[in-house]
Amino acid sequence: MQNVIVFVEHKSGQTRKVTFELATEARKLADTLGGKAYAVVLGTGASTLAGQLTKYPLDTIYTAEDADVDKYFLDPIVDYVEAVAKTAGPSLVLVPNTMLGRDVAGRVAARLQAGLTSDVTGFTTEGGKVVSVAPKLQGSTITGCAFKNTEYGVATVRPNAFEAQAGGGGAQVSALDKPAGKSYALVIENEVEEASGEMGLEEAPVVISGGRGLGGPDPFTTLLKPLADALGGAVGASRAAADAGWVPYSLQIGQTGKIVSPQLYIAAGISGAIQHKVGMQTAGTIVAINRDATVPIGEFADLLVVGDLFQIVPELTKMVEGAKAHA
Amino acid sequence: MKIVVTVKLVPDTNAAKRIDPATKRLVRTGLETVLNPFDEYAIEAALQLKEKLGGDTTVTVFTMAPETGKETIRKALAMGADDAVMLSDAGLEGSDVWATSYAMAQALKKTGFDLLIAGGLADDGNTGGVPGALAEYLGVPALTNVRKIEEAGDGKIRAQRETDSGYQVVSGPLPSLITVTMAVGEPRYASLKGIMGAKKKTIVTLMLADLGLDRAVGTDGAKTEVLEISAPKPREKARVVEAADGASGAQAIFDFLREKKLI
Ligand SMILES: Cc1cc2nc3c(=O)[nH]c(=O)nc-3n(C[C@H](O)[C@H](O)[C@H](O)COP(=O)(O)OP(=O)(O)OC[C@H]3O[C@@H](n4cnc5c(N)ncnc54)[C@H](O)[C@@H]3O)c2cc1C
Ligand SMILES: Nc1ncnc2c1ncn2[C@@H]1O[C@H](COP(=O)(O)O)[C@@H](O)[C@H]1O
Repeated sequence: MQNVIVFVEHKSGQTRKVTFELATEARKLADTLGGKAYAVVLGTGASTLAGQLTKYPLDTIYTAEDADVDKYFLDPIVDYVEAVAKTAGPSLVLVPNTMLGRDVAGRVAARLQAGLTSDVTGFTTEGGKVVSVAPKLQGSTITGCAFKNTEYGVATVRPNAFEAQAGGGGAQVSALDKPAGKSYALVIENEVEEASGEMGLEEAPVVISGGRGLGGPDPFTTLLKPLADALGGAVGASRAAADAGWVPYSLQIGQTGKIVSPQLYIAAGISGAIQHKVGMQTAGTIVAINRDATVPIGEFADLLVVGDLFQIVPELTKMVEGAKAHA
Repeated sequence: MKIVVTVKLVPDTNAAKRIDPATKRLVRTGLETVLNPFDEYAIEAALQLKEKLGGDTTVTVFTMAPETGKETIRKALAMGADDAVMLSDAGLEGSDVWATSYAMAQALKKTGFDLLIAGGLADDGNTGGVPGALAEYLGVPALTNVRKIEEAGDGKIRAQRETDSGYQVVSGPLPSLITVTMAVGEPRYASLKGIMGAKKKTIVTLMLADLGLDRAVGTDGAKTEVLEISAPKPREKARVVEAADGASGAQAIFDFLREKKLI
């Protein structure tokens, strides 16, 4: 495989930061492999977003401003990405390791008879072969996985693992023809927003997470949200908090939730069981606030403050806000 | 309605796992296997639906795993599934997402189903790639991340699928594949009666020869190959600060974030 294709996840033209990370990495990989770097942007808002993407070093940005992409679940997306890959020839398809990205990856991989690697945090190339580097087995092992028996590879890439760098733009924007002879089975009848439209917990530079220690739903909004806002981050949660119904499952971090790699992770009232650790152990800096000095998170956090989170968090929020006001 | 749940047998999360340096495969021998945590929710969703629909609705669990996994599969039967199908064959060792989905799809064509329910992610391989690929090879729609099945039957399904910011109501035909999230409800415990009854339930074993595959699976057919394994940089133990009050605790964190140039 020599070309690299980036699947762009977005909502009405609003995309995630990981898109730009993937575009930057796609260029590097394509240059090493001697191929081209492409992006695919589909659905309402695609054209506007494609314009934004031209600031990144891609060769061609394929778009389809096709209402069916928003009306039917996933099938149109899979058809378009397959068509782009088949036209491009042997390629590596990069998708973000997000809820939607994982769905796209499995199906596109099957269409292309491709190998699939997941939760990738780095790529190396050896003699024209792409090797995906990813933490596996609850982070206890790092594997380097290559593709074989195939001309195509699909990799789901962890947000925040690569740097986004604009520059070297000038990509062509090219409108795709609608794949012919397709019928779509799953109708999206309606869409309901519950959380405040927050799309990118996985890629927030700062994550403030709460667990059982918060005791109920309210502290997530009254205590953690203000600190997250002050630090420019997002609010997450442990499984205990999601299971208790204090926050939606979409905020859950860990084994059965989201995997995050922010620069800073603050865990308030979270013990740090292995299932939670899996979702956040690659954060740059980990700070824990806990009443109990013997919690497991002490084994892998950078700083553990033993004290009452209900007193500490508001004070910290004030300090951060104060520092920002003076900056 | 015939419901089939795909269940992976995985090592317990807390078990110390290692990869064989020679084969680069997870060493599964000597590790206690459990039902993949997500798949327990898939079983729960199936059992709830069976309770709701009644009549001739059945729940079959399907796994591709070595025969030693039989005891673990009995746990799914003890929860209330009616029977099980196991695809077991040494020729499947070393299967990746591609080989797993391809082989499973051919077996599931034999088993038949109206609704196929999968978990979203396996605890060991962790790709989340199997359900989508499976749907492709079976030629059925894939309605993912379902948190609530609103209706299923008469060749139709309508469900709420979770998104990052809420949910979508999606409808489509049956047969279909769905994956479920933990919001479908806490998996039930097996009752004593369930455990006793499970011993009498049927586990059908399929082998590769039963499927007549036209492509190689297992290590030979796999489209990925692990070349290198290494240990991650271990994290140190935390610096511990006892906070006398809120202000001193906050100050300790604030100073630390300054030191790390995070504010
Ligand atoms: C450390 C490690 C790293 C690996 N890395 C890769 C990799 O990068 N690429 C790759 O292709 N493979 C990889 N594998 C192999 C992987 O275990 C197999 O491909 C696996 O059978 C399918 O992938 P998964 O475990 O990610 O399943 P997922 O796609 O995460 O599983 C999702 C759902 O599919 C169903 N399902 C999956 N497997 C089975 C099964 N055997 N029986 C019944 N239902 C099942 C279950 O409902 C499950 O909840 C890796 C394995 C290990 C141990
Ligand atoms: N003997 C076997 N029979 C059936 N499936 C197997 C067998 N060995 C491994 N598998 C499955 O093949 C996939 C890859 O397993 P492994 O090669 O052990 O990492 C997993 O889904 C296993 O459950």
